[in-house]
Amino acid sequence: MSLKGTDTRPDESVIVELRHITKRFPGIVANDDVTISVKKGEIYALLGENGAGKSTLMSMLYGMYEPDHGEIYVRGKKMHFRSPAEAAEENIGMVHQHFRLVENFTVGENIVLGVETVKRVGIFPVLSMKGAYDRIRELSKSFGLEVDPEDLISELGVSARQRVEIMKMLYREAEILIFDEPTAILTPQEVEALLKIMEELRRSGKTIILITHKIEEIRKVADRCAILRRGKLIDVLKVQDASTQEMANLMVGRNVVLNAEKPAPHFGETVLEVEKLCVRNEDRVQVVRGVSLKVRAGEIFAVAGVSGNGQTELADAIAGLRKAESGSIRLMGKDISRESIRERNGSGISYIPEDRQKYGLFLDFNLRSNLCLRRYFKAPFSRQGILNEAEAERYARDLVEKYDIRSGQGTETQVRSMSGGNQQKAIVGREIEEHSPLVIFVQPTRGLDMGAIENIHRQILRERERGAAILLISLELDEVMELADTIGVIYNGQLLKTADAGSLTSHEVGRYMMGVSG
Amino acid sequence: MPPRGKTLEGGRRKGKTPRGFRALFARILVSDRFGHLTVPLFCILLTLFFSGILLLLLGKNPLVSFYSFLQGSGFAKKASYGNGVGMLSDFFAFLNICAPMLLAALAFIFGYRSGLFNIGIAGQMLLSGFLATIWVGYSDLPGILARPLVLLIGMGVGALLGGCVGFLKYRFNIHEVVSTIMINYIISYVTGFYINSRYVNQISRSSNVCSGASRLTFTKVNIAGYSCSVPLGIGIAVLAALIVQFILKRTVFGFEVRAVGSNRNAALYSGVSVGRQMVLSMMISGLLAGLAGVSYYLGYTNTIIPRELCSMGYDSIATALLGSSSPIGAVFASVLITIFQNGASYMSSTVGVAREIASVITGVLLLFSACGGYFRKRAEDYLKKLEDEEGGEKA
Amino acid sequence: MNYIESMITDGLAFGLPLFIMALGGIFSEKSGVTNLAVEGFQGFGAFVGAFLATVLSLKTPLGSQIILYLAIAAAFLGGALYASLHALLCIRFDADQVISGVVINILGVALTTFLTSQINGFLFGNASNKFILDSSFRFSVPLLSNIPILGAVFRNIYPFEILILILGLYFWYLMYKTRFGMHLRASGENPHALDSAGGNVRRTRFLSVMLSGGLSGIGGMCIAYSLLLQYSPSIYLGYGYLAIAAMIFGNWNIVPTFFVCIFFGLARAGGYQLCLFMKLSSRYTDLFMTIPYILTLVLLVFFSKRSHPPRAAGQPYDKGER
Repeated sequence: MSLKGTDTRPDESVIVELRHITKRFPGIVANDDVTISVKKGEIYALLGENGAGKSTLMSMLYGMYEPDHGEIYVRGKKMHFRSPAEAAEENIGMVHQHFRLVENFTVGENIVLGVETVKRVGIFPVLSMKGAYDRIRELSKSFGLEVDPEDLISELGVSARQRVEIMKMLYREAEILIFDEPTAILTPQEVEALLKIMEELRRSGKTIILITHKIEEIRKVADRCAILRRGKLIDVLKVQDASTQEMANLMVGRNVVLNAEKPAPHFGETVLEVEKLCVRNEDRVQVVRGVSLKVRAGEIFAVAGVSGNGQTELADAIAGLRKAESGSIRLMGKDISRESIRERNGSGISYIPEDRQKYGLFLDFNLRSNLCLRRYFKAPFSRQGILNEAEAERYARDLVEKYDIRSGQGTETQVRSMSGGNQQKAIVGREIEEHSPLVIFVQPTRGLDMGAIENIHRQILRERERGAAILLISLELDEVMELADTIGVIYNGQLLKTADAGSLTSHEVGRYMMGVSG
Repeated sequence: MPPRGKTLEGGRRKGKTPRGFRALFARILVSDRFGHLTVPLFCILLTLFFSGILLLLLGKNPLVSFYSFLQGSGFAKKASYGNGVGMLSDFFAFLNICAPMLLAALAFIFGYRSGLFNIGIAGQMLLSGFLATIWVGYSDLPGILARPLVLLIGMGVGALLGGCVGFLKYRFNIHEVVSTIMINYIISYVTGFYINSRYVNQISRSSNVCSGASRLTFTKVNIAGYSCSVPLGIGIAVLAALIVQFILKRTVFGFEVRAVGSNRNAALYSGVSVGRQMVLSMMISGLLAGLAGVSYYLGYTNTIIPRELCSMGYDSIATALLGSSSPIGAVFASVLITIFQNGASYMSSTVGVAREIASVITGVLLLFSACGGYFRKRAEDYLKKLEDEEGGEKA
Repeated sequence: MNYIESMITDGLAFGLPLFIMALGGIFSEKSGVTNLAVEGFQGFGAFVGAFLATVLSLKTPLGSQIILYLAIAAAFLGGALYASLHALLCIRFDADQVISGVVINILGVALTTFLTSQINGFLFGNASNKFILDSSFRFSVPLLSNIPILGAVFRNIYPFEILILILGLYFWYLMYKTRFGMHLRASGENPHALDSAGGNVRRTRFLSVMLSGGLSGIGGMCIAYSLLLQYSPSIYLGYGYLAIAAMIFGNWNIVPTFFVCIFFGLARAGGYQLCLFMKLSSRYTDLFMTIPYILTLVLLVFFSKRSHPPRAAGQPYDKGER
C-alpha cells in the first residue's frame, strides 16, 4: 500500500476527489475524463442509466480496478489503490449491488472476513470470534441496524442481507460509504428504512456516495448529485435546486416521457388457470404453496414480491422447467401439468426467463441458432432430422430486422459478444414471434439501460394489445405498478393478495410484499 | 461487468486494423476461419519446442529424434529394412494403430460435445474387445460372418456401457469421470480374472490369439512387393469421422447434443429432453469406443494382456482436444499423436531415449491444448486493446 | 477371528492413506478448484519420495526408518510442486478444471514412468520402471493390542498411520479455526465476497491446491510403502479417484470423509480376507479387488443426488464478472 501522499490543497471539507479519471475495458470506455469531489458528511449521489459507468467509477475508488488515467485523492492525499484491502485502510467501504456474502457462513463470520482477530492458543493461532460478535451487537444497537451475528446468511432475506453488508463497512470503521443501487429490489417500506439508516449515518459524520438511477431517492436524501452518461460526467447539481424532469433529461440525454400512456384493457377468455399449485425446490423445500391465479386474454397479471418468495419457481412450474408437486395448470381449458416443456410450448406458452444467459440463450452459439430455438425441430427448419440452414438464416434475418437486434456480424455473431439489451431483444423477439396465447415475462428488464427498458415495455404492451395473456413477474415494484392490470402479491410461496392494479397503491403492495396482510 | 461486447456491434473493424508482427500473430489466432487450425498448430509448436529442450537436456539431437519418429511410422525412409518389409509396411502398421486411436478420439469427442467426459474409453474398449474375442474370436466362424459380428458386438457392448454411464449421470448425478474410472477398474479386474482362469496362453501370459477369420486386420498382404498388414479399421474410422461430423453439424439430433453440451439449462428451457440426450450421446460415445476396442484387440493386436487398460483410452483425450474436439480435426490430430506413439520404439532404438518419452510429449501437448482457450482470449484482449489505443489516438 | 483382525489392521493401513488423499481433495475443492487430479498428485508425490528414498539408501548410511520419514516429506513437497501445475492451469490460465485434472493425471503417469526409467538407467544402468523400497517397520501398542478383535487397531501399525492422524487433526484445525481456512472456505463459496473483503482469492486457491497436492503425495507414498513395497506405474490404481468418491460421500466435510475412507479400507481388506477365508485360489483375488470400486458406485447412487459441492467449485475467478 502506498501511503506516499502529496498534500495538494487544504480544503478540509473535501474528503474524496477524483480527477480526470479514465478507465477502458477491452472494447469500451467505461469512464471518460471524470472529475468529481465529495465533501465530508454529505450524501453524494451518482445518477445515471445502467452502463453509464457509475459502478466502474466507484469500483476504482474502492480498489477493485485501477484507473488508466487520472488521480484519486482521499483527504487530500493522492492514492494508488491496488485492492479493496488498501481502500479499506483509508476507511472506504462499499455495498455492492449483488451482495458479496458467503451463504453458509454466519452473519458474524461474513462481517469479520478479511479483518479477523486472531489469538494464540499455545503455538497455534486461532480465530477469535467472540469479541467480534460482541462488537457487532454493540454497533447494531448504536446505528439501529438489526443484525444477529449468529444467524446463517442463507436463512436471511434481501434487506437483512443488505444490513449485513452495511454492518461490514461499519465494523471496518469505514468513513466513506459507497452504496451501489441499494434499493433496486427492496419494497417501498424497506427503501424508506434504508434511507433513514443513511440519514442516521450522515448524522454520525459518515460520508455517503449513493449510486442509483432512481431520481426519487436522490430527492429524498441526497445533498448533491453528479450525472453520468456513457462514461462522461454531464453535470453536478444541488438536489434542492434541480427538478426531477431536469435530472431525468440530463441522465438520458433527451426529453423523456416519465409515464408512458397505457391504453385501456380489453379482457377476453381465461387463458391460464392455475389452481392450488405447489412446487418444491432442489432442497425439497416447498417454495410455492397453493397458488391459484387466472390470467385472461389481453390482461397483464403481474406477480409482485421480494426476491426468493417462490416467484421464479412459479414461472418455471408453469413453463414446465420444474415439476409441480400438486395442483393443476390449465391452458385454455386444457390441463398441461403433465406435458413436457416442448409440448407446453406447442400448446401456446412463450417464456422469457429470469436469467437470460443461464436459461434463455446459448452464449457460445451464433445468433441464428438462438433465434431458431423454438422452431429448428419443425418443418421447414428441418426435414427428416436434417437441418435446413438456409431457412433458418432467412427467418433469423427477419427477426433481426423486425426486433432491431444489433450485433457485430449479423446472424453469425456469437451471442456472448452481444450487449445485454440486444441479447434480451433476441429472446423477446424469438418468444413473441410464436404468437402464443400466454407469454410469461420474468424480470424482463433486469440490468438493462433505459432505452432497452422502454423497448421491452413497449413490446409487452403490444402483446397485450394483440390479446395475449401476460404473466409478468418482477422484483421491481415500479415496473409492476406501471404495467399491471391485475397485481398478485406473492409472499413465502403464497399469493397474499390479488386485486385490480388500480385499487392498490405501491405502498399497499409493498406492505403485502413484506407479508403484512390486511 | 462492463458490457464488453458494445464495440463489437455495428462494424467493429471500422478503424484501421492494427499492424505489426504481434498483432498479425494475434489476429491469426483469433480469426474465425483459421482459429480452430492455428491455435492447435501453435500448441504443437510449443510442444515441439519444449520436448526439443527436454531432448537437448538428455544430450540428444531433437531434430534427429523427431525425424526418427517419422521414420518409425513409415513417413520417412529408415536407414535399413528387414527382408520383405519396407516403408510401406511401416505405414500400414501405422494405419493399423491409428484406426483405434481415431475411433477412440471420436468417442471422446461425441461425449465431450454433449458435455460429458468419457474417461472410460479404455474400459469400454477392453470389455468389447474381450467379449468379441471370446464369442467370435475363439469360434470357427468364416470371415464373412465373423468380421461383421465382431463389429456388431463391439458397438453393442460399448453402447451399453456408455449408456449405463449416461444413465448414472442423469438419474443419480454421479460424475461421469468418477463412474467411468470405477467401471474401468472393475472391467479390468473381471476380464483379467476370466482370461487368467480360462483363456490364458501359458507362454505369453496373455490371452489366446483370436482366429484369423475374425481379425479386422489382414496380415501379410503383399503390396508392391512388401508384406503389409492392412487394417479394415482405418476405413471404418475415417467413415465414422465423416458420419459424426455430419450428425453434429447438420442434424436436429446433433444440434441438441451440442445444445446440451453448451448449456444444459438452456437446453432444458428450449424443450430438449436433456436426460435422453445425455444417455444417447454416451451410448454413441461408447459405441465408437467399442469399435475402437475391437479394432485394437482384434486388429492391431490379436490378444489381450490381462488386467491392462490400454493407454489409448487417455491418449485419445489428447487427440480430441488437439483436434479442437472436431471430428475432422481429430483425423489430423490422431495422425500426429500416433506418429509419436508408434514411432517411439524406433526412436528409442536409434536415438536411445526411453520410449516413454512419447507419452510425455503427448502429455505436454495435452497441457498446452488445455490452455488453447486462454491463448485465444489473450490474443483477443490484446487486439481490442490495440484497437482502443488507435481509436484513442484518432479522437 | 484371525481374518477379522487382519481385516482391521489392513483396512486401517489402506483407509488412512486414502483419507489423506481425500483430505487433499477437500482442500482443493473447498477453495473452489475442482480436483480430479488427486490420482496424478499422489503418483507424482510417491515418485519423488521413492526417488529420494532410493538415492538415500544407495548413497548414505541413513537407516530405513529415517529414510521413510524423509521420503514422506519429499512426497509432500513433490506432490505440492506438481499440484502447482494444476493450480497454474486452473487459476492463471483459466483452463477447464475438469480437463486440467485429467491432463494432470495423464501427464503424471507419463512423466513419472519416463523419469523412473531414465533415473534407473542412470543410477543402476538398467532402465527398470520401479524403485524398490525397504519395507517399513511396524509397531504394536502394548496392552491395548491384546484386547480381542479390537486390539487389531493397535497392532502392526505403520508409523505413517499415526502421522496421518496427526495431519488430519492439524488440517481440520487449519480449515475451521484459522484465518487461512476461513478465506479458503469463502473463496470456494463466494470468491467475490472474499475479494471485496480484502482477501486474495487467487493466492488462497493456489496455496490450497498446493496443499492438496502435498497431502495426496503423502497418501501415494504411504501406499507405495504399505501395499506395493515399491514405486512403479502400478501406483496408478485409481485410489485417487476412490478418494474423490469418499470426499463426495463425506459431503466435502473432513470428519465424515474420514469414516468413509476407513469404511472403504475395511471393505477392501475384508474382501481380501474373505478370499483367504474361503480358501480360493489366488487368482480370485482379482474378483475381490473390485469390491471397493463396486461399493463406490453403489454408494454414489445413493449419495450423489444429495451432495452439495462448494458453490464456486469449477468456476475460474474473474473479478470483473458479477
